[in-house]
Amino acid sequence: MHRHALTMPDSRTLVANAVLLLLVAAAVIISLSMGTVQIAPAEVIRALIGTTEDPTAAFVINELRLSRVVAGMLSGAALALAGCLMQTLARNRLATPGIIGIDNAATAFAVASVVGTGIAIAPSAMALVGAATATALAFGLAGANGTRGYRFIVAGLGIGAIAGAVTQVMLSQVAIDDANAAYPWTVGSLNARSGASVQVLALGLAASCLVTVAIVRALNTLQFSDPVAIALGTRLRRTRVVGLGLSVLLTGLAVSVCGPVGLVALLAPELARTVCRPGRIPLTAAALAGAAFMVIADLLGRTLFSPLEIPVGIITAIVGSPYLLWILLRPSTRSLT
Amino acid sequence: MSHSNTATLAADRITLAHRRFTVAENLSLTLPSARVTAIVGPNGCGKSTLLNGLARIHAPAAGAVLLDGKDIHRLPSKDVARKLALLPQENTAPEGLTVGDLVRFGRQPHQGWMKQWSQEDQQAFDRAVQAADVKGLVNRALDTLSGGQRQRAWIAMAVAQQTPLLLLDEPTSALDLGHQIEVFELIRNLREQGKTIAMVVHDLASACRYADHMVAMKDGKIIEEGSPAEIVSPELVQELYGVSCELLHDPATGSPLLVNVRRNNRQPA
Repeated sequence: MHRHALTMPDSRTLVANAVLLLLVAAAVIISLSMGTVQIAPAEVIRALIGTTEDPTAAFVINELRLSRVVAGMLSGAALALAGCLMQTLARNRLATPGIIGIDNAATAFAVASVVGTGIAIAPSAMALVGAATATALAFGLAGANGTRGYRFIVAGLGIGAIAGAVTQVMLSQVAIDDANAAYPWTVGSLNARSGASVQVLALGLAASCLVTVAIVRALNTLQFSDPVAIALGTRLRRTRVVGLGLSVLLTGLAVSVCGPVGLVALLAPELARTVCRPGRIPLTAAALAGAAFMVIADLLGRTLFSPLEIPVGIITAIVGSPYLLWILLRPSTRSLT
Repeated sequence: MSHSNTATLAADRITLAHRRFTVAENLSLTLPSARVTAIVGPNGCGKSTLLNGLARIHAPAAGAVLLDGKDIHRLPSKDVARKLALLPQENTAPEGLTVGDLVRFGRQPHQGWMKQWSQEDQQAFDRAVQAADVKGLVNRALDTLSGGQRQRAWIAMAVAQQTPLLLLDEPTSALDLGHQIEVFELIRNLREQGKTIAMVVHDLASACRYADHMVAMKDGKIIEEGSPAEIVSPELVQELYGVSCELLHDPATGSPLLVNVRRNNRQPA
């Protein structure tokens, strides 16, 4: 027992990750089976592995529904990973890209390209530029504190508010058709995704996972103070730059697919921390939880009031807010910072 | 300590500053090998800043900290972490972290991409929890421990790094007398095993008892350096802390003992 506890990786985290992976798989299969045409889960699996004999099922699953579910899975994982990285770097559980305005800025830039401000770059690229701009501004305004402390968060809040206002101004100034086209960007929806931006997200997420693996040891030491991390051989500046860059990249790419879906970046890492063993940053569990959260929220949005569809961002807000309040209010010694 | 190869640490005319405020200027110091060095002085004299400078937490504005004769800020961070361990003054750990988890972090500088937890890591871990006497606590969460136990766990992490050099910033500041003695005796044992140790100590009496070498600082300058028996005098105490005292010698250890300590303008009754 004693020896066993010393071997790594630890069993609790492995079990948690396995359960989350099953949850993602279950959510994906159920999500694929539900819709205007109901398809049995067994048939869904056959359609996915290409052994179905029902051409309608194969078409509905692989051509109509799969791309949306994949987009949800990837963007949920990306948002959650981005959130977990930024929380770690800032040593603050509130410091997620959504809270500090990166989502909003990415949205503002994407809307600018959709409503035709004369900027003819793809929304994905624009969202990425927006995310990077917001981060750079927050950094600049936070001064020498870098990602540490409240200055970065407060600066980000301000930038987010300005970006949100800019989005509203743009939407109020353009023709109603343009505003409608841009609407999904403002609430967060998987309805409007473009195939190209999903592919870019898939590539970006894969690359980000590889880089994250390379800095995971350094990230783990950031659970301690700077002096302890340095004493353990962590290159602080490099870790911060790489981690923040990944967080911005993942957020920008996810927003370009699904818009600013709120609270995934906050709640998925929170859930991951609850189920995994303390002492390591639960990056894998956070990404899996984010993917499951997003797919389930989109499923609810599509089916609850069918045929009326509720954008996924509204579902995550409705489901997520009470959970956030519960985290804040539950009797626990866990501090927020 | 089979892996305690030796290493030297020295400050070569370093200037240390917080932003534009210079804390210490032109300090030079070489830590005597396999000895405990205590850095003492009044509040704000720059002793913690000097220790953090030596530990490469603060880069000097001028001069250089030399690890085995090379500028510590030019050496790869991981290489430095295999030679020099630090226990900062205030330590926070993630909630629920166990003593074992904490001590394992001490092996981080010895691990890598391809090099996961090895036999060698396990041996270092076992020795560290043994040395710091936290073997029975490895599965306990840090936040459930007493102050003394927690401090021993942090020291165990630094010991697990298996570095020839160990720097400690006020290792006993929040501890009661019994726990203070425990930590100082642990530090002394580590010296017996060949480690070169430097610590900032608030309490001059403890520094006299447990240090082989003493560095007295005031206003960012080193004003005296030597063994406690050589340098501690009523005049030094007066200069450092502005108080009068008399000096005796501890009959048990021969180290200096301060008695009748009082403010200057008040005569004893």
